[in-house]
Amino acid sequence: MRAFLQFAWKEVLEIVRTWRIWVLPGMLLFFALTGPLMAKFTPEILKAVGGDQVAALLKVMPKPTYLDAYGQWIKNLSQIGLFAIIIIYGGLISSERKSGTAILVLTKPLSRTSYVFAKAAVHFVFVAVAVGITTVVTWDMTRLVFGKSPGGPLWSAVVAWLGLVIFFMGVMTLLSSILGSQAGAAGIGLAVFAALSLAGMSEPLRRFTPAGLVQAPALLAAGKASAILSPVITSCGLAVLLVMAAAEVFRTKEL
Amino acid sequence: MTAALEIEKLTKRYGDTCVLDGVDLHVEEGSIYGFLGPNGAGKTTTLRIITGLARPTSGTVRVLGHDLASVEGDVRAEIGFLPDVPGFYEWMTAEEFLRFAGGLFGLKSRTLDERVKVLLDLAGLDGVRTRVGGFSRGMKQRLGVAQALINAPKLLMLDEPTSALDPMGRKDVLDMLASLRGRTTVFFSTHILADVERICDTVAILDHGHVVAQAPIDELKSRYGASKVLIEVTEGADELAEAVRREPWASSVVRDTNGTVSVTVSDSEAAARAIPAMVAQRGLCLRRMEAGEMGLEEVFVQLVGGERT
Repeated sequence: MRAFLQFAWKEVLEIVRTWRIWVLPGMLLFFALTGPLMAKFTPEILKAVGGDQVAALLKVMPKPTYLDAYGQWIKNLSQIGLFAIIIIYGGLISSERKSGTAILVLTKPLSRTSYVFAKAAVHFVFVAVAVGITTVVTWDMTRLVFGKSPGGPLWSAVVAWLGLVIFFMGVMTLLSSILGSQAGAAGIGLAVFAALSLAGMSEPLRRFTPAGLVQAPALLAAGKASAILSPVITSCGLAVLLVMAAAEVFRTKEL
Repeated sequence: MTAALEIEKLTKRYGDTCVLDGVDLHVEEGSIYGFLGPNGAGKTTTLRIITGLARPTSGTVRVLGHDLASVEGDVRAEIGFLPDVPGFYEWMTAEEFLRFAGGLFGLKSRTLDERVKVLLDLAGLDGVRTRVGGFSRGMKQRLGVAQALINAPKLLMLDEPTSALDPMGRKDVLDMLASLRGRTTVFFSTHILADVERICDTVAILDHGHVVAQAPIDELKSRYGASKVLIEVTEGADELAEAVRREPWASSVVRDTNGTVSVTVSDSEAAARAIPAMVAQRGLCLRRMEAGEMGLEEVFVQLVGGERT
């Protein structure tokens, strides 16, 4: 347990002291700050560049509200945010094998299972904290721009999205244990996302599996109801199983 | 004496390629053991198996009396390991890395403080605040040796520990390893024969996955030294060398500048009978004929068929 905590602390320090602290949080912060502004001023921008025809069209469209800001935030998380996570964590396990640091660590009393679980846990917490903080930013920004920002739709959408992320953290942990190539693992991770999006068209799969979490965040952010409890529970369970499978694969690998 | 490391019939195959073929090693506790072999002989693979980084195809490995297959985790607490190219977290400083490594062994902070101070000093990295990413290869190698010693291991295993070091760095590391004699078992692979000759008690020579020799260095040199004959004649040394070269028992003939002919022989008795006759037949005057002493390098070259690391 002590070796697990020591290694997990190393992962935390590595996040804080390398590029990792800047890339994902920086990107999320940018979206958090610009999303509400984009939602508010997109009609004006379109009017300015599109002329009379666009202006006439915009007159019949409803005025943007805080829900549009939430939608913008969730759209960015669901697409660019999730894809960035898939690409970054394609090398979660394999990068240390490649650089040789895993050899120095794993010839000490740290089990390979602890190694895999520490990485998966720390990085999921990192993503959750980064998203949590930047969601607070976009929440405040929405209040500034639109005058009000009820928390329910925003936070329920973010929880649903984190449910999907925990599943993908499990997928990427397993893929990066199996494959030596970060790009290869990321490619397969994106294919899993595409497959999950298609699976979401099936009602039973949408109700009970992570497939239900592909569309749910957008619906919740728009203030519509969407049952996410079962998909989130399934997602968490699958994530644990995937990380266990990753640990088993990594345990049998030669370094 | 008990064995710190015992390997029996160790075999490692990758598909059709046999990297290790029935390797037997016996490393006495407290000894400094040199593991020699040309490139591709299987030295690094052997070390990877001992440290649990790779699995044997067959055979047994006992580290400090424990069967590696059953108690991998427990054994790791008592060994120190330096790979041939150590990979460090480049964003850490040397001190941070040593503290991190010590933490993995569960060292208490007071012990850790003391060891970090001593090892940084030993590695010549005391006061160096630069991150490891800015270190030279020699500095990384010295840090690698230091981290392998953080848990005061009973068995220290090093893969080519001096290969990246300058002469002074090499001397420091070798002195450091020599100072561990009797306290810690040191098992290290190298292609630098002078290093082995300088500090090792015992040596094993690996060639194409086979151990071709394993013995205390002095015994090894005397065993193979008997196969070398030095002949000194007053004149006609060139003619004699040519004649000896044609004999089936002569493995190699070297004509030295001071009138001596150095012959490595495959059959000492045949050589002892034939050489005086050859000298007499040519009417030469024999001044000296004696068994020569082989250096480790010559033993190595003879055993691995002339291949060099």
